[in-house]
Amino acid sequence: MSSAQEDFRTPGIDVSMRGGLTLVPYVVFWGWLLSRWINDFLLPAGVGVDSGTPYLDPSLFEPISESLAFAVEYLPQLAAGVWATIIITVASITLGFFLAVPVSVARVYGNYTAWASLVFTELIRGTPLLAQLFVLYYGLGLSSWIRELPLVGVGIVPDQAFLVAIVGFTINSAAYQAEYIRSALKSVDSGQLQAGRAIGFSRLAAIRHIVLPQALRFAIPGWSNELVYLIKYSSLAAFITVPELFELGRQIASDNLQYTAVFSLVALFYLAIIITASNLMGVVERRVHIPGLGRGTDR
Amino acid sequence: MTETDLLRIDGLQKSYGDEEVLQDISFSMGEGDAYVLIGPSGSGKSTLLRCVNRLTEPDGGAIYLDGVRVNDEEYDVDELRRQVGMVFQDINLFSHLTALENVSIGLEKVAGLDPESAEERAMAELEQVGMADQADSYPAELSGGQQQRVGIARALAMDPKLVLFDEPTSSLDPELTGEVVSVMRDLAKEGMTMLVVTHEMGFARSAATKMLFLEDGHLVEEGPPEQLFDEPATERTAEFLERITEAESAGSL
Repeated sequence: MSSAQEDFRTPGIDVSMRGGLTLVPYVVFWGWLLSRWINDFLLPAGVGVDSGTPYLDPSLFEPISESLAFAVEYLPQLAAGVWATIIITVASITLGFFLAVPVSVARVYGNYTAWASLVFTELIRGTPLLAQLFVLYYGLGLSSWIRELPLVGVGIVPDQAFLVAIVGFTINSAAYQAEYIRSALKSVDSGQLQAGRAIGFSRLAAIRHIVLPQALRFAIPGWSNELVYLIKYSSLAAFITVPELFELGRQIASDNLQYTAVFSLVALFYLAIIITASNLMGVVERRVHIPGLGRGTDR
Repeated sequence: MTETDLLRIDGLQKSYGDEEVLQDISFSMGEGDAYVLIGPSGSGKSTLLRCVNRLTEPDGGAIYLDGVRVNDEEYDVDELRRQVGMVFQDINLFSHLTALENVSIGLEKVAGLDPESAEERAMAELEQVGMADQADSYPAELSGGQQQRVGIARALAMDPKLVLFDEPTSSLDPELTGEVVSVMRDLAKEGMTMLVVTHEMGFARSAATKMLFLEDGHLVEEGPPEQLFDEPATERTAEFLERITEAESAGSL
């Protein structure tokens, strides 16, 4: 069906930056975001500025550029949405990964479990993500069940819609990640599994110690793609009321009716998150690269 | 022969569909024996070897290791494989591990040694095959001959009673077979029990205690190398050995 490097959704955009660029833009962008999160979430009222209000008066920037003044006014309100987007994405891709590994191993090495795994991945990949979220949120009433759990929505623990979104994206992402890992598993030479068996490893132990460490390396390029998609797809959480980046942008725009301007800012945030994410994955890929082997990808 | 057989094979049988790959194979080896298994391709040599550590399950017959029947539902396959090392034609080193880790991983994860003792032991094995100075290299950074020597060290590290060699030099460039054969020869001299499928007739002549000639799944002839080379009992053995030694000398010209 596909090789380890194949993209299962749509053509990827090469957003990795190689050399040349310094860390300065990263430090400025993430430093500012971090300061906003600390100010908005952690500092008690009265200390720092109010949540979502700019550090400096936007009118100061009007002589330079109207757009800049607009950005200074509205960027702070979007910072909380960036936080939600990142948490949803990181939680879902991580939990999805731990689900995807057994699913893909079952698919490649299992008997009956291979069928269960096939049904799961095809069902999830074959239906719209938004429909899956609706089923979980409205259909199965997962939200009312989660709401009853202790601590949900208390303090920094997110509310039920947020958690349903994480459950939905975890399941969805697990299916896609399982496909990437599955093709990576198949690209590990089967002779090595046999050599492992020949020194006394059980089948499962040989998969764990010999096949998986290699397969997961081969899966990194595909996995990076999945991460980039998930960052953007997390915007669908807006449809189940989660105040992530896209939803906050929508709310702001429906107030000031500056749709183009507000969504341009939203887009810039997504772009910045994605560039950071793919560069991080590039670093990971280089760090775990096996000496002497061709680099797992030719991007 | 030796007082007790280390390996005894009795009426071994294996078929794939209608094709009988091994028919009624019986022989036995004592401790310290080095047997060389020869025969045309498709004669069942590799299948026979793989039946011994049950990478291939035999259909009939019995295999005894140290007097214990090991091809039995009751007998733990992994337990068998801990006692029988194997060196592969395709080498099959673990690509994500260094030479040292390739040897130590079994000691650590299968034999249960602590990481330090495993590493120490692995280093000793690498020294034995002359690969200690490349301990930190990854397989892709090594030549085929070097890789195969690590492959041998990996098999030896588990302290096997018997090591199976499945055409260990066939995938190597001709100029690299020498280093591997010389390691094998040393092993045989030190009394390692070995069952070797190979076309390296130099090794057979100098190190084998016995040669077995297999054709179409039958054990046609067995005997000391001098006998098979100089006074083969059957015409087929003579023909095969003539062909293979011709090919060998043509190669070395």
